[in-house]
Amino acid sequence: MQHVSLLAFNKEKCKPFFDNLTNFFNDHHHSEKQNPDEYEKLLYMVKRPYDDNMLDMVDNWMNLSKRDWKGETTREVKLALYAIRYPDTLLIDSFTQKARSDIHRLSAYLHFTHHTYAIWDEDTRKGLVKLGINIPPTTVADPFIYGAYVSAIELLKDVAPFTCFLEHDIPRQRLFQAALAAYGRQE
Amino acid sequence: MSGTEIVEDYSPNFEAWINDFSEWQTRIGFDPSWLGDYRFDIKFDWDTAGNKIEFGDFEGMPKWERRMQIPQQNIRDAIITMISVQGDTEFASVEQQNHLLDTAPTEYDKKSALRIMCEEQRHGWQMAYVLCTYFGEQGVREASKLLERNALEGTRILGSFNAPIDHWLDFFCFTHFIDRDGKYQLKMLSTSSFKPLAASMGPMLKEESFHLGTGANGLRRIVKQGVIPCELLQKYLNKWISTGLDLFGTDDSTSAQWAYVYGVKGRYDERESDIDADREHLNEASRELYFQELRDEMRRISSARKEGEPDLFIPSDKFNRGIGMYAGLKYTITGEEFEGSDDDYETYLISVLPTQEDENKLMNDYMKQDWIQYREWKGN
Repeated sequence: MQHVSLLAFNKEKCKPFFDNLTNFFNDHHHSEKQNPDEYEKLLYMVKRPYDDNMLDMVDNWMNLSKRDWKGETTREVKLALYAIRYPDTLLIDSFTQKARSDIHRLSAYLHFTHHTYAIWDEDTRKGLVKLGINIPPTTVADPFIYGAYVSAIELLKDVAPFTCFLEHDIPRQRLFQAALAAYGRQE
Repeated sequence: MSGTEIVEDYSPNFEAWINDFSEWQTRIGFDPSWLGDYRFDIKFDWDTAGNKIEFGDFEGMPKWERRMQIPQQNIRDAIITMISVQGDTEFASVEQQNHLLDTAPTEYDKKSALRIMCEEQRHGWQMAYVLCTYFGEQGVREASKLLERNALEGTRILGSFNAPIDHWLDFFCFTHFIDRDGKYQLKMLSTSSFKPLAASMGPMLKEESFHLGTGANGLRRIVKQGVIPCELLQKYLNKWISTGLDLFGTDDSTSAQWAYVYGVKGRYDERESDIDADREHLNEASRELYFQELRDEMRRISSARKEGEPDLFIPSDKFNRGIGMYAGLKYTITGEEFEGSDDDYETYLISVLPTQEDENKLMNDYMKQDWIQYREWKGN
């Protein structure tokens, strides 16, 4: 599925998105709801060795409810955060059901521990669909769907003109993901 | 829209230059194993470069894709000079910075600096490739010179690129202020009438944004940490900003005007601007945009300072200038004409620029502490 999406990629369709990417990014990332100051703090505070408090901080920033995970599940996820190498997502396939149950949460952990994996977000997915990259909706961590999502954002980074690249301390995956989220919401 | 071509086959001229490049790396002490799997690709973004000359006396005509399409020898010479100066800065910055890797405050900073040095070398390769591939013997000679001049011997073309970068505060100032000037130069060349030069700029600008981010963020992390007092930091800003402003060249520059007439080098905002260029004041216009950008960036950096620390600011563009209408004149950092003798002014400069005593305090006291906000290297 990943290959089908990317082979069907139409660069011309991306022009309106790329032309306004920095505005889209600012609309989303610098909105009150996204709490950019807290986001920046997390870029520094989430570091090895990972502990539960760090995951809690990410949950808070994401406005997610408290993790309803057994200690064993948390350990499993933390180990995976050490082991996984960008852009691999297949490791997710080996997770137990509980750990895979929320792509939104898991992708945020991946994002803040690696600064590369993009946060899964429904608006971002819709943004990709508007660009002709059809990633299906999901709430669980499907390694193939999330892999396609990550690869699609990576592809956009590759083909985007230099005018899209801000000089600020924001991982480029966040720059594109946040811009896509605003673009996806736009009527 | 960007469609980047990565060149697979090199001309014999460029292959020979690559051998010289390896010797240059050895000479300056840059270990090629530091590059890991990084490759010096030659990249062209032909789409963004455009097909028609965008400004100047040849506006509307097809962009030149080969040397022989360039209508006059003096235009060829101007293009070769532009490429040579750009390439010269790329290699110079690696010579200036590579000794810092041993004293990086964190692994993250070391890897960031290494990435910057890799990309600067790639930019140098790109300029050498254009010289060797498109400009025959003359280009090959100029490409060789890129590796012969040396920042540590003071023989690089531009002053800032011969200045020592003694420590990491200088490194962050350099990447924030001097690489930002580099961004301006690259963007001004991105609309060039010589298509291979214009098409080189898109990929280089993409990479350059990381360099600027490293500088801006490094300064912000230092301010946030609050170990180095803002009063001392301000002295380093005063030192580097005047250098950055000088890099835009002389006022009323005729060479900038000719470059515009030839369509070789545009304004920073050439594609965005809807007013005609003031051809007699091109350098001043670009410098003013740069200066405004510095002020905006400094507000963001200064906002991270600890309570009680003074605001950091961008000194006046009249202060400590070596080039332009204020060159050699006595002005304060806030832009007032200095009233007093030359000796008084020397005393004043000591109070606003880093002294040897400041350097010692910085390196032997502040930098022995946790002087910069820690950031983890994520290993990607």
